[in-house]
Amino acid sequence: MIKVKDLHKSFGDLEVLKGIDEEITKGEVVVVIGPSGSGKSTFLRCLNLLEDITAGEVFINGAQINSPQANINEIRQNTGMVFQHFNLFPHKNVLDNITLAPVKVKGVKEKKAEEIAYDLLKKVGLKDKAMAYPSQLSGGQKQRIAIARALAMQPEVMLFDEPTSALDPEMVGEVLAVMKELAHEGMTMVVVTHEMGFAREVGDRVLFMDAGVIVEADNPENIFSNPQEERTKSFLAKIL
Amino acid sequence: MLVDKIEILQQAFPHLMRGAAVTVRITTFAVMIGIVIGTILGLARVSKSKILQGVSKTYIEFFRGTPLLIQLFLLHFGLPNIGIDLGNYLAAILGLGLNSGAYVGEIVRSGIISIDKGQMEAARSLGMSYYEAMRYVILPQAIKRVVPPLGNEFIALLKDSSLVSIIAVQDLTRQGRLIISRNYESFLIFSAVAVIYFVMTFMMTRLVNWAERRLSVSD
Repeated sequence: MIKVKDLHKSFGDLEVLKGIDEEITKGEVVVVIGPSGSGKSTFLRCLNLLEDITAGEVFINGAQINSPQANINEIRQNTGMVFQHFNLFPHKNVLDNITLAPVKVKGVKEKKAEEIAYDLLKKVGLKDKAMAYPSQLSGGQKQRIAIARALAMQPEVMLFDEPTSALDPEMVGEVLAVMKELAHEGMTMVVVTHEMGFAREVGDRVLFMDAGVIVEADNPENIFSNPQEERTKSFLAKIL
Repeated sequence: MLVDKIEILQQAFPHLMRGAAVTVRITTFAVMIGIVIGTILGLARVSKSKILQGVSKTYIEFFRGTPLLIQLFLLHFGLPNIGIDLGNYLAAILGLGLNSGAYVGEIVRSGIISIDKGQMEAARSLGMSYYEAMRYVILPQAIKRVVPPLGNEFIALLKDSSLVSIIAVQDLTRQGRLIISRNYESFLIFSAVAVIYFVMTFMMTRLVNWAERRLSVSD
């Protein structure tokens, strides 16, 4: 489903990604962990071209997304993204946040889009907040709406960029619960997170990144209980 | 004595009001030109195109860096010299509008860049084009932020419009000077002119405050 070949990314002179090779299959939940500055968010953002790719190739469903012929707007419709800081549209209420892109980008009829939106709101447990504005919601609620908004485009892949890092501790659970449910439904997910519990429980595979490369990739069991690489061991020792 | 003064004012009043109407009309057209030009300049300034950025920046530098009075002279006295005669009203409206556009351009630009870049990323990540993201996500939020500085700009423009009296436009200032040239009551008439300007800017301030309140419903 997603194939990454020798991906490099530099910001000016600073090389953040130093050659990433990775393949993610349909329905897989891949959790990316690693110290800050390791390039894990940049890696995720390259998957829907929020960052220009310096060198290398990224394929989604066999089509290369970083080729001049690729229609990036179309590709992004297929890859939902959830951000650390939610990035809900503050001038629109919850319902409009969710229906905006389906209506304006995909040309879905307003009524149909609202039906989809209400289904998604039910799924994230916030049906009663349809008319609320983002400023009236808690962090956890905002993030659940952001997930619903991304899902409204009916993407095949969901990318999560530290979705719980900006939340108060007591709100982390409600967001993870929604993500867990999504994973059980078979959504292909790439999740950058510091939630090791989530990685262990929900992840099919864990990638440990450090200094711009994937140091170790394995199932959660092996990564957490039996890491092979020295850097993985020292990272886990610090956080577990 | 006092009765005389009141009579002078009574006689002057219709002329001053006619001038005030001209001031309002010129300012209104100039504001419209300023908004159109300013929006284009602001969008060009934040675009990825180096050419658009350059053109916009040059325009703003020129109109901000030279006196409005000289710009008015150029349009009214300069252009006829090379065969283009706009007439004094059009020259006045265009002069004020082109000048205001430069300031509005900077206000629009600052409004757009004040919107968190996560908003653009979220919109783009949903598959919106740059244009769609601007139209549905960035600009509606930027508009709210630019209302107060735009209000300031247009109040300043209304006051600056008194300069057009020098190119023979019959605005409030010129009407006042014409009256004074007949009756020499400069203190009285200029005071009246000042009061009328103040009433106009005061009403504009109320209007801006009202717009600000209306736009902040979702905050």
